Amino acid sequence: MKLMQYARIYRIQVKNNWVREAVYRVNFLTAMATDVIWIGVELLLFTVIYANVPVLAGWTKPQVYFFLGIFFSSDALFTTFFQRNFWNFSDLVNKGELDILLTKPVHPLFLALSRWINITAIFNIVLGLGIAIRYAHPAGFSGGWKWLLVGAWLLIGMTTQILLRFAFSIWVFWTERSWAISRLYYQFFQFATKPDTLYPKAIRYLILTALPFAFISSIPARALLHGLKWTEYANVAGVLIAFFILNAILWQTGLKRYQSASS
Amino acid sequence: MSWRLAALKNGFQDATAYRIEFLFEVLGSAFVPAAIQWVLWYAMFKIGGAHEIAGMNYSDMVQYTLVSLLFTQIRGGDHDFELQEMIRSGQLSNYLLRPVSVIEFVYIRGMAPKLLIAGVCLGLGTTVGLFFGMSPVRLLGAMVMALIGNVLHYQIGAALSTTAFLWEEAYSFLMVKNMLVSLLSGELIPLNLFPKNMQWMWKITPFYLYVFGPTQYALGHWTHTYFLEQLAWSCVWLVAGWAFIKVTWGLGMSRYLSLGG
Amino acid sequence: MIVEVKNVSRSFRSPKKTEGFTGAMKLLFKPEYSTHEAVKNVSFSLEPGSFNGLIGANGAGKTTLLKILSGLIAPTSGEARVLGFDPFQRPVEFRRKIALVMGQKAQLWWDLPAVDAFDLLRAIYEIPMPVYKERLHTLATLLDVTKHLNTQIRRLSLGERMKMELIGALIHWPNVIFLDEPTIGLDILAAHKLREFLKEFNRREKATIILTSHNMEDIEKLCSRVLIMRTGEIIYDGTAHGLTEKGECRLRVRLMQSPTVEELAQLTGVNASAIAVQAPDTGPDEEDKDENDHKPIFFTIKYDDIVAILQKIMTKFTIINMGIEEPSLENVIQRLFQ
Repeated sequence: MKLMQYARIYRIQVKNNWVREAVYRVNFLTAMATDVIWIGVELLLFTVIYANVPVLAGWTKPQVYFFLGIFFSSDALFTTFFQRNFWNFSDLVNKGELDILLTKPVHPLFLALSRWINITAIFNIVLGLGIAIRYAHPAGFSGGWKWLLVGAWLLIGMTTQILLRFAFSIWVFWTERSWAISRLYYQFFQFATKPDTLYPKAIRYLILTALPFAFISSIPARALLHGLKWTEYANVAGVLIAFFILNAILWQTGLKRYQSASS
Repeated sequence: MSWRLAALKNGFQDATAYRIEFLFEVLGSAFVPAAIQWVLWYAMFKIGGAHEIAGMNYSDMVQYTLVSLLFTQIRGGDHDFELQEMIRSGQLSNYLLRPVSVIEFVYIRGMAPKLLIAGVCLGLGTTVGLFFGMSPVRLLGAMVMALIGNVLHYQIGAALSTTAFLWEEAYSFLMVKNMLVSLLSGELIPLNLFPKNMQWMWKITPFYLYVFGPTQYALGHWTHTYFLEQLAWSCVWLVAGWAFIKVTWGLGMSRYLSLGG
Repeated sequence: MIVEVKNVSRSFRSPKKTEGFTGAMKLLFKPEYSTHEAVKNVSFSLEPGSFNGLIGANGAGKTTLLKILSGLIAPTSGEARVLGFDPFQRPVEFRRKIALVMGQKAQLWWDLPAVDAFDLLRAIYEIPMPVYKERLHTLATLLDVTKHLNTQIRRLSLGERMKMELIGALIHWPNVIFLDEPTIGLDILAAHKLREFLKEFNRREKATIILTSHNMEDIEKLCSRVLIMRTGEIIYDGTAHGLTEKGECRLRVRLMQSPTVEELAQLTGVNASAIAVQAPDTGPDEEDKDENDHKPIFFTIKYDDIVAILQKIMTKFTIINMGIEEPSLENVIQRLFQ
């Protein structure tokens, strides 16, 4: 019953976003162009590097392209459904709009995080998948039923990004200007744009545990290409659960603080 | 002249009002490109076991990374976004009533914190550079080129932001420009890593004058005459950028005013 | 009783900010706090279907009280109950039955027509379609915005936007409505329209309404009950008319003669403290020299006594001119705040 209500709300949010997006058609095109250029720049960087070396930390050129394809799709999934909602999260708290959400008879976070949907970014999911498919064979991805696993790993990648972004956004309850922390997120996010095995040990350990940016695409790409050790699977599950619990605690204490500080 | 000083002071206060954030910002923008570069060199040389790539060995690469950091800090910031936001929101009208040029005003305000950072970088760079036997003349020359690059970067952004007059926003254009700059300015990789048949890519834009050019000169990879030649080119770009702004803002403004803001 | 507030207090602790880098560091590690009491020991209860006004200067604690009642913040001490619920627990049933409108915070989407935002609210409050359509029709007709329902919010005027906000807040037919400065920034006509609507809605639907406002007209025209707050305390609780109707009016007379206050008190039987000679703000101007011989005398008396007192005065003195000053609500409140 509750679930049905949430589904209905979500359906209307999607519809409303569609209506709004139709109003700004030019943005549609320019946003798409921006993303294509971004993907182009990332591909170009590796093209330049592979012009100088044949293999990079065990990754061949097609394998890195496959990795980038997975990365773009998983990131585009996040962009489509969550990006802008997190972007507006600090405004929600600073301008007190959260007040209105708190008086509604559904979970305030659900309302806050379902409000904006970036329909243009769906194009990127397709584009990323296209790149992954194009380089799957030369990268040594066996394909077949394993394509189903791609879907699952993309969802894990998106979930990771949600949990991480949330943990970075939530500090707005404590600091008035949270853009520095958001900015820090985007700087750390750069680590997700390269396969994790490239990194020196310390950084690699970091992005597999405390700041699991490697789960966004490195782990999925490696799992799909070569499979993982069971300890690695356990690590993914453990870290994500820990982040979920951490976020839940932060949300509760943050909300408490919000309510005790607002006048 | 006095309004320029006031704008500079105002921009400086604005940027440093939250000191810890300011520090974060500077450190973050210095740390990340450096870390990414280092990771690539590490993967290529240490894990991959390469000895020399495009005529550079591991320590050359690390040297490039460290020196380019200085110039990455000086290269243009994001205050062109402020211009497009003004146009989009209609706030521009408030500025048009004032007896100063909006484009210059926004530049000076945004430039203020950069001047501080440039000063610190210059000081730090000269000390460290001298210690490693780098020529102070070269460092100073490189700094001049980087500063011209800073103006150039803003000029291009300011001209691009006029597309907001046409399509209500120029955000995407500025983002595209920034992405291209991040790769083609040489802050991610030395541009001579580009294979021969792709070298034209960075040569057709002025972006290499932001970071790659100054770094190459400071490290002694460019001769003085070649540097002067490139400096002349950056001045040509500067004039072109100025003309570009004149034309685009002229067109945009006439449209803005005819629509009544 | 639909709203019950017993000895509710609310204080805030805010860190003291100090200048400079050491100040910032201190703030980070060893902050000092100052306490501010926004609401002090407030008690009252409201009847179902009543229209209540909450007034006071900026920072008097109105919005804080409203936030306590709508469950956004908890009281530091005391107890508040709304519809039988503890508001701060914010149970879903409670949230279904209340509405909060803040004049300065919009809940509608900027780029969408209002009707799309209402559609979302319909899903949130699970309103059946036929009921929703009927309510929307009623509200839009009452507020006269039917033709704007399909216009983007950002293209609407401030007044129309506020009307849309109200529809959004009322579409689920709340039992208790909290309105924080609903007429702020509106022109006289738009404010008037909004007021008419609120009155009508309250009359028809018997919803309990609590409204804060700076605008005395809001209070005078709408509220059957007025609570006045000053620095966190309620200093008046009663009807709006009660404020002015205590019989208070000021009778101003100017006499040929210059009797003393005592003489007048004896003659009219009015308490000497209710008689004042010359308003304190009239300065000894050169031109007034002549008039100074005939200083105006003010009697603070009941309406019913005016004629009798005038008659008594006329038995002994000659009246040059006279007038009756009716204290407006605004004056009364100003006096209360002094």
